[in-house]
Amino acid sequence: MISAFTILFTMALVSLFFHRSFLLKPLSLVALSAAFYVTLGGAVVPLIGFATNEQIKLFELVLEIVLFASILHESEEITITQTLFLGAASVLLLQSNTLVSFILSFEALSIISVVLVSYIKTKNQAQGAVKMFIAGSMATGIVLLGSAFYLMGGGMLLEPLSSKGSEFMNIGVALMLAGLFYKLTIVPFHGWAIDTYALIRHSHAAILSGIAKTVAALAIFKIFAPFLAEHITLSLPLLATLAIITMTLGNFLALFTKNIARILSYSSIAHAGYMLIAFVAVKSTYADEGILYMAIAYIFMQSGAFLALDSLKKEYDIKTLDDLKGFASQNSTLSFFFTIQLLSLAGIPLLAGFLAKAVVFYAGVDAGLWWLVLIALLNSALSVGYYAWIIKSMYFDEGTLKERLVDLHLPQIAQLILAAGTLYFGVFASSVFM
Amino acid sequence: MSGVELIFYPFIIALLTAVFFRQNSAVSKFVALALFTYMLLFSINLFSQLPSSGYLDLGTYLSVPKFDFILTLKVDMLSTIMLTLTSVLLLLVALSSWSMKNQALYYSLLIFFSGAIFGVFMSTNLLWFFIFWELTLVPMYFLVGIWGEERRIYAAVKFFLYTHVASMFVLLAFFLIHKEAGTFDMTLVREGMLLSPVLIWWLLFVGFSVKMPLFPFHTWLPDAHVQAPAPISVLLAGVLLKMGAYAMIRMVLLLLPETSQQYAWVLLVLGLITLFYAGFMAIYETHLKKMVAYSSISHMGLVAIAMATLSYSGLSAALYEMIGHAFVIAPLFLLAGFFHHKTGSWEMKDMGGIMQKAPYISAIFVLAGLGALGLPGTMGFVGELSILLSSIKSFGLWMAVVAFGSMLGAAYIIWTLRRVIYGEMSEVVRKTNFSMNIFEFLALAIFALFIILFGVFPNLLFEYINPAFAQFTSLGGAL
Repeated sequence: MISAFTILFTMALVSLFFHRSFLLKPLSLVALSAAFYVTLGGAVVPLIGFATNEQIKLFELVLEIVLFASILHESEEITITQTLFLGAASVLLLQSNTLVSFILSFEALSIISVVLVSYIKTKNQAQGAVKMFIAGSMATGIVLLGSAFYLMGGGMLLEPLSSKGSEFMNIGVALMLAGLFYKLTIVPFHGWAIDTYALIRHSHAAILSGIAKTVAALAIFKIFAPFLAEHITLSLPLLATLAIITMTLGNFLALFTKNIARILSYSSIAHAGYMLIAFVAVKSTYADEGILYMAIAYIFMQSGAFLALDSLKKEYDIKTLDDLKGFASQNSTLSFFFTIQLLSLAGIPLLAGFLAKAVVFYAGVDAGLWWLVLIALLNSALSVGYYAWIIKSMYFDEGTLKERLVDLHLPQIAQLILAAGTLYFGVFASSVFM
Repeated sequence: MSGVELIFYPFIIALLTAVFFRQNSAVSKFVALALFTYMLLFSINLFSQLPSSGYLDLGTYLSVPKFDFILTLKVDMLSTIMLTLTSVLLLLVALSSWSMKNQALYYSLLIFFSGAIFGVFMSTNLLWFFIFWELTLVPMYFLVGIWGEERRIYAAVKFFLYTHVASMFVLLAFFLIHKEAGTFDMTLVREGMLLSPVLIWWLLFVGFSVKMPLFPFHTWLPDAHVQAPAPISVLLAGVLLKMGAYAMIRMVLLLLPETSQQYAWVLLVLGLITLFYAGFMAIYETHLKKMVAYSSISHMGLVAIAMATLSYSGLSAALYEMIGHAFVIAPLFLLAGFFHHKTGSWEMKDMGGIMQKAPYISAIFVLAGLGALGLPGTMGFVGELSILLSSIKSFGLWMAVVAFGSMLGAAYIIWTLRRVIYGEMSEVVRKTNFSMNIFEFLALAIFALFIILFGVFPNLLFEYINPAFAQFTSLGGAL
């Protein structure tokens, strides 16, 4: 049976033989297009413990588009291979339906993420990779410990998460969530993320914070939402507190940062806080659409922003806000795409970021949590402060002309694809509400 | 073009203009002029199609039933008046920006703005209303930040952040309305459906007060208006503030009439404070454009007082004053910018005696100034008189204090005229050549014409304004 997973996994294996060949990139793109086509046709997953539905299918399509764009952007062969492996693992994780399949595919995704960042050329990258490796191993340990508690309480490995058991199950789920929140960079489990995202290569950060994190968030929601809904009295105060701390801390720290990669890392943490609102408002019928919309919007805008930053660094060696001054007059195309993604992250309408926030926050209001939504809205308004500041550096400041180190064309097509996605899902919401 | 095309085509035209006319930027002016003329004709044409009461349906698009996220376009008399005012101002602003630098980008941002603002006045779905409401900020942010004066960056970021934060309260209120009334369509929401109308009222009130602006939420305005280039100040004062007032009438007063009745005193008190506070600030200012900005805030205080009456005559007076204020304040902003451009100074003491050098231009400044202080025969007089009368009718004779507000207006305007236009000719003015582009002068002349025309024949406007508030006829007499 041909499915998106088999195509991606096979291509990832085959790509090992095409190293240093000009064929690698076109072949990968063809494979991704084939995976897109197969997903569009609605291939059934025959494996036990895996299931798919319309929403997961839509997200897989989006995921394949974003993977396509990031491979188009990428110039290192080894990263292309790893991206394909990561895509295969992501498809598995999204479709996993039982605890054991979830944990296994989650581990697969984590291991590939670690391999991805281990492509080390400088001391800084080594620091980022090691931090991620240590934090990731911790998280894995905690998830496994949590699942052990869960099984001790009477849970079943080969079934979806249920709450028919003893108190140990609650402890187990709480521990598993703690481990998983490492990946989602929820405060206070966020420490590793800022350094890792900011220090490793920006195109890797795009995959890590844009793709891997979003896939994890959606998969965690799919597995854990029924359980959280049943224990709403326990989960609501805890998760609401985490959501408030996460978005507030992320936004405030971003305000006082000069390094663009760090700003995007903090903004990634703040967005994890917004996503958590869907977990809090799990009782609402809008929570499903909320997290799905957030995932779709976020995967486009976060990967877009980080990939644009990667081009900025490669082509002009831009790192801080000061380097960015007057950039719009130099490369208006790149700054236009970067601006679109930043405005979307800031939640400006007609871009996906706004509708995603609107649906997630509406789910919060629908669940009766208007105070939480008010805090989230004010946070989102505050975040305009630093996004607008980046745009200000590009457009309003006078800068010195920078020397163009290399001339890249494919990344601009990648940017076009991602910006088109951000625009499309900012206007046509009907595809998400099925 | 239909209504929805008139909203979305400008976005595409703006992008194309910015990309393709970068080398040949003069074309962008004519693209903008053609589009804005079409918009004006479209809005005027709407008057003949409007039903005698209620809404004219312009179609529904992009329907997402589950979230009630539907682009519903409906216009009534109130929104058609706002559309017409907006397109007149856009057209005149396009004329008076004739010699801007970097024109392709400038005019494409203006075109983008025109699409968003048409969306604000046409859509009756609250979520889409909010989308367009926020979207107007983006072109304004760039217009102020790129073409503004010395402290433009500070002003642009402050404007963006301040009004964006305020909008968040509005969005939360819309969410609550949808949760409690089950719909985002403002024409279907009735106050009786809502469980927490007071909370919603306050959220909306705070959100819209910032845009109007009312004391104490006005602090973004002096910065933004002063640092913006002169034509953009006209748009800020003539369109963006009116957008706030329009939303205040439509979403607060008409949507929640009972709660508004209960809290009308808040609007009245803030309106009075705004009127006097901004009036005194305008007297104190020696910075010409800041004086105009404070005068603008002061007039919005008058509009708020008229709204607080919640009566037929009061709301009609408010709408008339909104239009009058737009036409009166526009030439003041344009000329303040022009004088600064020529003399290189904002301070009134550096000007003086401009009348001797540039009599025609000065005459327009004097006329607009007299309009701002409410001289009979200008639009300002009709607006202030009808506001005074309607507020006395609603709140009693003590509302005659509003007349003192107008006296403050007389104080700052006459004193400014004496220092800038008349008086001894300063050294700076003596050396300056006050020549003006013909298109910019044309825009000013049209503004001056409107000030006198609607000042002498106010019924030309009231004929359209009065039916906008027909549902209030039971509450009080007409003018």
